[in-house]
Amino acid sequence: MSLSVSPGEVVTVVGPSGVGKTTLLRLLALFRPPDEGTISWDGDDAWALSDRERLAVRRRVATVFQEPSLFNASVERNAEYGLRVRRPWSDRIRDAISGAIGVSDASRRVRDALETVGLESLRDQNALSLSGGEAQRVAFARALAVEPDVLLLDEPSSNLDPRNTAVLEDAIADARDRGVGVVVATHDMNQAERISDRVAVLLDGTIIETGPPEQVFESPADDRTRRFVTGELVY
Amino acid sequence: MFPLTATLPDASWTYFFSIVAVSLYVSGLAVAVSTLVSLPVALGIGFSEFPGKRAVTAVINTGMGFPSVVVGLLVLLVVSNQGPLGDLDLAFTPEAMVLSQFVLATPVITSITLSAVEGVGDDVRDAAFGLGGTDADVALVVIKEARYGIVTAVLAGFGRAISEVGSILIVGGNIVYSDGTSYTRTLTTAITVEARQGRYEAGLVLGAVLLVLVLGVNWLGSWIRSRGRGRASGGGRRSP
Repeated sequence: MSLSVSPGEVVTVVGPSGVGKTTLLRLLALFRPPDEGTISWDGDDAWALSDRERLAVRRRVATVFQEPSLFNASVERNAEYGLRVRRPWSDRIRDAISGAIGVSDASRRVRDALETVGLESLRDQNALSLSGGEAQRVAFARALAVEPDVLLLDEPSSNLDPRNTAVLEDAIADARDRGVGVVVATHDMNQAERISDRVAVLLDGTIIETGPPEQVFESPADDRTRRFVTGELVY
Repeated sequence: MFPLTATLPDASWTYFFSIVAVSLYVSGLAVAVSTLVSLPVALGIGFSEFPGKRAVTAVINTGMGFPSVVVGLLVLLVVSNQGPLGDLDLAFTPEAMVLSQFVLATPVITSITLSAVEGVGDDVRDAAFGLGGTDADVALVVIKEARYGIVTAVLAGFGRAISEVGSILIVGGNIVYSDGTSYTRTLTTAITVEARQGRYEAGLVLGAVLLVLVLGVNWLGSWIRSRGRGRASGGGRRSP
């Protein structure tokens, strides 16, 4: 299969549960090397880079998984996590002792990210006390705060009600407008149609079709896509 | 406390406080050293996959049930004149007692810490990695998430050590100086002396002091855990 994302583009990977969408995202996030093929960033094979170079690539990416997996700390501490790990250890130790965030614009970035998802007022609350929807939004804010070049989102609205889904989709659109490349794995075809610049259909372990949402959903080139979109193809 | 001074054979606060001091010194030092050893071992096992990991874990868990008198006997063999550490003259010293309590507390702390570390879900590790964390960052997150379990492990190790009697009786000798202060006598071994000599009232008072210490440690552990749970449950809302 082949999948690419450009700056300022939202690519949605759709497919039934268990088809490998999460695995694909984990490969893109460089969690592990692929058994075959390459994961390229700016034309370089990411797994041919040195550890330090690959870490630098990873830090241009932020991943949000289906489960929010928040840490047992305040919402603010969760949101700043990605910024914190990007700092030198000496600064982090000093900040840990003083309790400060440290990065001069970290507070702004964390505040902006929490405002984007509508959770600024909960910044001091323990993240594990949040509802599922709030937790999912904190996980999203945690990714936004690092201002990544690429956002990888795995079923980002699975825990969200329609209003919060709209908030999230607006935030995805904002990120795209700022030049962030976004890859979203979802089985929600309606959402894919709403937010995507391109849709990739993942079936039987391979991407069988890629194109603009109107093409994929209204006049698919592959008959399996048509049957999947119309619900004839049941998994 | 007043009946204690009236009924103890040496009838002095000095005797009493020296027993408590020896108990806290031996157990505190043993648990401190044990923690320094146990944490890296538990983290090393928890963060890695290797052949025989389950067997190693099983051995550690089994170590929680080591018979203390057997440990005491083995430690005495090690520190006795003919033993490998004989040149250090550790037999019948507080340091020998520290060694035996170290052997007893280490599996407890290691096992509970390992359980706490392995209880942190892979999803939390993935979240840290997916936000740009290095392996060290991920490890730090796991330690932070497991912190209440680690504290529980240390307190459980202390509980095991402070209430232990068999091994320290063997390796320490239950010695009191001629001025009546304790050299290797602890609360537990003092209780055995009082019971053997029929001074049950004094034994009960010492037992009460020991219970207060153990209950205090358990209360501290419960408080720390509830503090963690309280923070975690916060507003009490968890549903989407």
